Amino acid sequence: MATFQPGLVHAPVTPFRRDQSVDYATYAKVIEFHLRNGAEALALPMPEGEDMSLRDGELRELLEFAVKQVKGRVPVLAHVSDAGTSLAVERAVHAEKTGAAAILSHPPYFWHPRPAMVVEHLARIAAAVKLPFYVCSPPVESPGTELTSDMVMQLIERVPNLAGVVDASLDFVFMEEVISGGRRLRPGFQLLAGRDYLVSAAALGGNGAIVPLAGIAPKLVRRVYDLCRQQKFVDARGMQEDIAHLHHLVREAGASGLKDGLAGIKCAMAVMGRECGVPRPPVRPLGEVERGRFEEAVQSLAFLKTEPHGW
Amino acid sequence: MLMPIKLKGVMQAPVSPMKDDFSFDGEGFAKMVDFHVRHGAPAIAWPHHKAESLNLTIAERKLGAEIAVKTVAKRVPVSIFVGTLSEEDSLDLARHAQKVGADAILTISPYCRRPAQEEIFDSIVRIATTVELPVLTYNSPWRNGEGVEFTGELTRRLIDRLPNYIGMKDASFHSQKYLEISRVALDMRPGFAIIMGVEHLLASYPLGACGSFSSSGAIAPNLCNKFFAALEAHDWETARECQFKISELWRMFKEQYPSSLKGAMIMMGRPVGPTRSPLPTASKERLEFLRKRLEELDILQTEPHGW
Repeated sequence: MATFQPGLVHAPVTPFRRDQSVDYATYAKVIEFHLRNGAEALALPMPEGEDMSLRDGELRELLEFAVKQVKGRVPVLAHVSDAGTSLAVERAVHAEKTGAAAILSHPPYFWHPRPAMVVEHLARIAAAVKLPFYVCSPPVESPGTELTSDMVMQLIERVPNLAGVVDASLDFVFMEEVISGGRRLRPGFQLLAGRDYLVSAAALGGNGAIVPLAGIAPKLVRRVYDLCRQQKFVDARGMQEDIAHLHHLVREAGASGLKDGLAGIKCAMAVMGRECGVPRPPVRPLGEVERGRFEEAVQSLAFLKTEPHGW
Repeated sequence: MLMPIKLKGVMQAPVSPMKDDFSFDGEGFAKMVDFHVRHGAPAIAWPHHKAESLNLTIAERKLGAEIAVKTVAKRVPVSIFVGTLSEEDSLDLARHAQKVGADAILTISPYCRRPAQEEIFDSIVRIATTVELPVLTYNSPWRNGEGVEFTGELTRRLIDRLPNYIGMKDASFHSQKYLEISRVALDMRPGFAIIMGVEHLLASYPLGACGSFSSSGAIAPNLCNKFFAALEAHDWETARECQFKISELWRMFKEQYPSSLKGAMIMMGRPVGPTRSPLPTASKERLEFLRKRLEELDILQTEPHGW
């Protein structure tokens, strides 16, 4: 179990129809696109897959659909974060039965419990399954409790199937403490870079990456990932700056106070010829003027010219 | 006109030695500065938070700036930090730094006001145009949008406006925030110096950071120099070892910074005196704990003792 390494993980978006139902026909195309374009594993539904906007039954159905569609070609990592411990526990159990290769969860949504309760919440989710468990830092600062390196150390002591951390904090200090401290307690303890920033995590000795922008620029993501694997971190700088530029455009688009990038990511998918609809309410899609500006900005990015267009 | 200066490597930011009565120890400070230069510091930067900058009087800051410039005597560049609570003080310190022959100033718009981007822009322009020296700014974003944050857009406007704007001390320690600045600044002004606030260099060096202002150099200058040499050689294995050891040191020192650091310096044979209130001075028990940790980390055995 300790040897499971997910590598370069793509995080697909979740397409919706106009009536807000999950658009499974398009979701199948999204999954096939990722598999054809360098995904060594899929993680779903990550925050960019609008996990918070899906109902419990939909989350289960989505995972069942994805596992069936993937048919064992790559591992599927199931993300099961929720506000309540028992809700997340039950979904983790369901994910294991469904055939997920690993479980991901971050500290609870909404509540701000004491650190010991956060550790308890995560430990119970992990204990409900035999699969490798990855604890994630929350995707943005506000919707729940911060994950600290002290919590990670306590979890390593308590949770035998804790394989690693998915870092969305992007915080150098956290990464240093998790990698050096984590590996002292558990050799081989993994740190996967989250949120499109691969180079710093890899230079510090990180293992893999979960990349939301892979649906837009899979070749660029693959090139940075490969350079990092070859320890050519300095050579990866220019391309990491390109990814950061795209990330910036996506996050700044839309009305989200969290800058969650959900409206931007789906609009950028459409610009690349992969129409996935708009985010579920209450997230607002881009207005007509903003959409025009955003499309122009994305189309003017020279590095996207060589990326695949359409499905 | 503008003298070009080269900022690179783990640059040392000396502490401010105090006498037992908490008065500023000018002689001790000269020894401190000289120690750093003799142990390979590629630049001297003073007075950062580590030097209790906000607990010094403006007169003490001017005296220290003069001592620093005189003691370094052009062996390496000297930058003077002019950040204060009041912009009038910053303007005064900036002019003074130029007058006494400093090589650069480091500045931030006044803290504690949660300034808007527009206010930071105006403040930096006022301070930077009052001198002809090269200017560095200090990016200090705190959680929840507090602190003084230089976004990529603000950095772009400042580079556009100020020919003497040469670099950023970045204390975001955050991939996204770092890259927002670096991808804009390094493109507009290729030699722009991005200097990490403390040695989180392994994460940032590959992305174009040129060095750091040091926290641990007062204790472990050899480790700092070895770390940067490993980065320059792309010897990532050695760089990781050094980075993780320096992170351990940082974990020891960051609480009530710089009380523990000053305590640990006593253990290395460089008594720099107490820390001014409201920060505590390291207790006897704390000193013993620090000594033990330094021994476990092999610092006590491998780094210079005394002055």
